Amino acid sequence: MSALLDGYDPGDFYDEMLATQGKPRPHYAKLYTRLSEMTPAQLNERRQLADLSFLLQGITFTVYSDDRGTERLFPFDLVPRILPRSEWQLLERGLSQRVIALNMFLQDVYGPQRILRERKIPRSLVLSCSHFRREVVGLQVPRGIHIHIAGIDLVRDSKTAEYLVLEDNLRTPSGVSYVLENRLVMTRTFPRLFHRYEVLPVTQYPIELLEILRTLSPRTGKRSTLVLLTPGIHNSAYFEHSFLAQQMGIELVEGRDLVVDSDTVYMKTIRGLTRVDVIYRRIDDDFLDPLVMRADSLLGVPGLIGAARAGNVALVNAVGNGVADDKAICAFVPDIIRYYLGEHPILRSVETYVCSEPAQLRYVLDHLEDLVVKSVGESGGYGMLIGPIASRASIAQFRDRLRIDPRNYVAQPVVSLSRCPCYDPDSGGLAGRHVDLRPYCLYDGEKVTIVPGGLTRVALRPGSLVVNSSQGGGSKDTWVLKGEE
Amino acid sequence: MLSRIADSLFWIARYMERAEGTARILDVNYHMMLEQSNQPYRLRWDPLVIIAGEHERFFSLYQGATSYTVLDFLGFRQENPNSIVKCISNARENARTIRDRISRDMWEDLNGLFHEVSRYCVAEVIATGPHRFCNLIKFGTHRFHGVTDATLPHDEGWQFLQAGRALERAGMTARIVDVQYHNLVEGPLSEPDNHQWMAVLKSVAAYEYYRRQYRARIEPEKVAELLLLHGLHPCSIRFNIAALQEALRAVSGTGHGTYANEAERRTGKLLDTLVYDRIEDVLSRGLHAFLTDLQRTCGAIGEDIARTYFYYPVAE
Repeated sequence: MSALLDGYDPGDFYDEMLATQGKPRPHYAKLYTRLSEMTPAQLNERRQLADLSFLLQGITFTVYSDDRGTERLFPFDLVPRILPRSEWQLLERGLSQRVIALNMFLQDVYGPQRILRERKIPRSLVLSCSHFRREVVGLQVPRGIHIHIAGIDLVRDSKTAEYLVLEDNLRTPSGVSYVLENRLVMTRTFPRLFHRYEVLPVTQYPIELLEILRTLSPRTGKRSTLVLLTPGIHNSAYFEHSFLAQQMGIELVEGRDLVVDSDTVYMKTIRGLTRVDVIYRRIDDDFLDPLVMRADSLLGVPGLIGAARAGNVALVNAVGNGVADDKAICAFVPDIIRYYLGEHPILRSVETYVCSEPAQLRYVLDHLEDLVVKSVGESGGYGMLIGPIASRASIAQFRDRLRIDPRNYVAQPVVSLSRCPCYDPDSGGLAGRHVDLRPYCLYDGEKVTIVPGGLTRVALRPGSLVVNSSQGGGSKDTWVLKGEE
Repeated sequence: MLSRIADSLFWIARYMERAEGTARILDVNYHMMLEQSNQPYRLRWDPLVIIAGEHERFFSLYQGATSYTVLDFLGFRQENPNSIVKCISNARENARTIRDRISRDMWEDLNGLFHEVSRYCVAEVIATGPHRFCNLIKFGTHRFHGVTDATLPHDEGWQFLQAGRALERAGMTARIVDVQYHNLVEGPLSEPDNHQWMAVLKSVAAYEYYRRQYRARIEPEKVAELLLLHGLHPCSIRFNIAALQEALRAVSGTGHGTYANEAERRTGKLLDTLVYDRIEDVLSRGLHAFLTDLQRTCGAIGEDIARTYFYYPVAE
């Protein structure tokens, strides 16, 4: 065995590569062999090559409240995460089912509200959600699609080896550009290994998204204008906005490039105003239209919601999706699937305690040391408590917060996430690090298309369970194989 | 094309040109000054600051003009919006906001230059001499223009880059000549004057060309003629105003003998003077007055372009 794999220990976790110490799972066999042939120096050399490639391409993200400058590389780990076909097919079915059901839920909540009247889900829970938008109740979205793009976070439980849904991202999920760029860098740094596996491609994503955007245009027969609306260069995901606009060949616009006149959206060009038909917006609901949402927003476009209501422009994703990815609502998704589709949920969610329910709150307060507590509306790993590693002070602090505003919190047991081999800069070899998986789902109103794989995020700090880029996480290329190995 | 994108392209070219011009001036003068350091007469650093149009800001930051303070100010100082590092970083920031509209090669090239430039600091450049740093900028900007030419479609966006570059270059040459104008006196040149004029020619890469073209000693009138009125040398003001006119016409689709907007009208009028006036005509009216006027016109053209293509009046 080479030094690279010396001391590699799967530990008490589900290891994605090794079935048992020294014995790779069938779909990892070729990678395992390749890694055994490599020295730490060789791996390190390739790693530096990959990093340089990211830096020169400016593939960076912004960390808020970091005074070391606004840009940082999103750490990339060279060892790919591999899924055999059969495993992926199961995930595909489960994710499709989930997205379709959640879309029906949004149609209902912003329409007839049948599910609330039939009390399948507490009315107060839905209406008190901070992302529920009264402003768009009754707004007919083009082709009935609320969720065009979903990023659904999955984790694998070490105890059962089962994939569980951790949370849904139905507003403006980000990260897909890293899926595409990681793949590009991987094929450059490990061409032979890549060749030895048959890996399903991911490059079609922008084209598939573009096709969906096209079908939403309110003007038929004419050449319509599609744009991607970004908050601008200081947004953490700016690179992605620009990347996707370029890949789709559509205009990247900021709020100040757009103007609404008579419920119609225009963009300011050097030849005058040009009508805009479809907006893939990467601005949060709150900032989209200062006339309807936050009046102090400088990022949005006054009158945009009015134009959408008049049917003159399509917004992607629709406004108000946050009500369906609220972490408290997440606990009801199995019920939502059963209610709208009459099907058994294919993917289970991580068990979730909804703190607005008094009995569940009591349980949570009694077991704070064992639970992860999350704020329902936050994302990016902000505003959470990880009981087992939290200080006494922060547990006490959360106890108070939970009592004051229980609706704002949910709790989940700590899932022992599976681990993948990652480069460990301290030892120069490989070590197990916890990972999750975020596949990107596109919904055209009839079927859900999912890029094979998605973004594998990895908690690079030893022992850490937090994979968010803002919290020291990195990413890996994710390979879905054409077959089983 | 979005107005904001045209605006950014225009300014990317201007910032790159500004960085290049400043680097050339620094490089040439620094080494000229070294050669002269044992001579009884003193060459002075402050004209460099005046060329940059930053006299006041400079003296609010430093006691006096020395090799260190001038290099720091023109090369690195963040408070100087026109320092080389700031220009490259502004160009890159503009490119970042429109990277979906420029070629990948352009972005990677400019981004690479930015990271390379960021590694330098004034102390190190003083220690090793500014030549390497200035060369990095000079060839870095040349390479960027080359990459742009080779990878960006020559559509209206490309025309805005050309317009920005030409306008900036014309203004830069005008300032360089203007600062030396007081040397344009009757009678033979003094030794330091001669060196200053050589520095001027070298800083716009026209020294060898001058020698070949005029086969004469350095004469201020001839230098002025070359830098102002020459039809083919890319440093000359006329050359750049002609390039500006071409770019503006390509955007608006206007033919010869007419104009589509105020920017084109002003450009055409200025070009007429530069094409049909002789250097004697210019000098008889006073070079300083002429150049002051010209710089003002260049400023006005920049504003006209912005009004025509970039800005929308706030709608009620």
